[in-house]
Amino acid sequence: MVSGAIAREADAAGRGNFSMNMEDQLRETLRRRDPTVGFAERVAARAQSGHRAKPVRRLRGLWAASVLALAAAVVLTATSLWQRAQEERAGRQAVLALRIASEKLSQARSKVLWRTENQ
Amino acid sequence: MTFRTFTLLMVSFALAARSTAQIQINLDSLASKAKESVEITLDSSMLKMASNFLSSEKSDDAKVKSLITGLKAITVRSFKFAQEGQYRPGDLQPIRAQLRAPSWSKIVGVDDKDGRRTSEIYTKTDQGKIVGVAILSAEPKELSVVYIEGTIDLAGLANLGGNFGIPPISIPDQKKPKGKE
Repeated sequence: MVSGAIAREADAAGRGNFSMNMEDQLRETLRRRDPTVGFAERVAARAQSGHRAKPVRRLRGLWAASVLALAAAVVLTATSLWQRAQEERAGRQAVLALRIASEKLSQARSKVLWRTENQ
Repeated sequence: MTFRTFTLLMVSFALAARSTAQIQINLDSLASKAKESVEITLDSSMLKMASNFLSSEKSDDAKVKSLITGLKAITVRSFKFAQEGQYRPGDLQPIRAQLRAPSWSKIVGVDDKDGRRTSEIYTKTDQGKIVGVAILSAEPKELSVVYIEGTIDLAGLANLGGNFGIPPISIPDQKKPKGKE
């Protein structure tokens, strides 16, 4: 009987120690602490650099892509127009050249016919 | 012996190259004297461009397009002068000299008594096909040279007359014979 009572008291004492340790640890953990020196500045700097630089970079990229696309479109259009102008010029020259050739051929033929008829 | 063979080979190559070379027309000096001048030089790439421009649906364009299909080059030099004597008959001699090559034949040569009006047509044939035409036409106040290289339909070319607003051809100071095709 005696031994049982002693054992119960010892057990109760052990539990009491454990709960005391837990309370101390929680208190220590939840204790208010001041931030380290320069913490606020670091947070502010990070907020500035992180939240503002990325959209600017994206915008710059979009601008560059737009300018490149526009330049490519202008170059392609100009090339196409130049090509068309060259084709038109060549076409008109070919028509004129064959017109002159046809005219001179007909002149020669007429002269031959005239001479044949008058001989 | 070796040198002689080499020389013969070189001469043969030179003659072969000359027979395939284009006719050189150098009448640039006449442009400054002329009242009107037409100078057209179209190589195969330009003719391809011309073909792209010409419509297959329009009758006149389609005829020209069909004619230039087989062509490699067109050269035209045509000068109209305000007065007679602005060019020398000898100006055409370098061209005539080139047209004396064996591949060329003179098919038409008409000139009046005093030699002031001449019309000459030369053709170059290859395996029975006309692969080149040269037309030299000289009037007292006009000089024209047309050189066409490539497969050309002469009848088709002649039939272009009357198209593009070309008036019927009449010979000055002479009776025009009634049209015979």
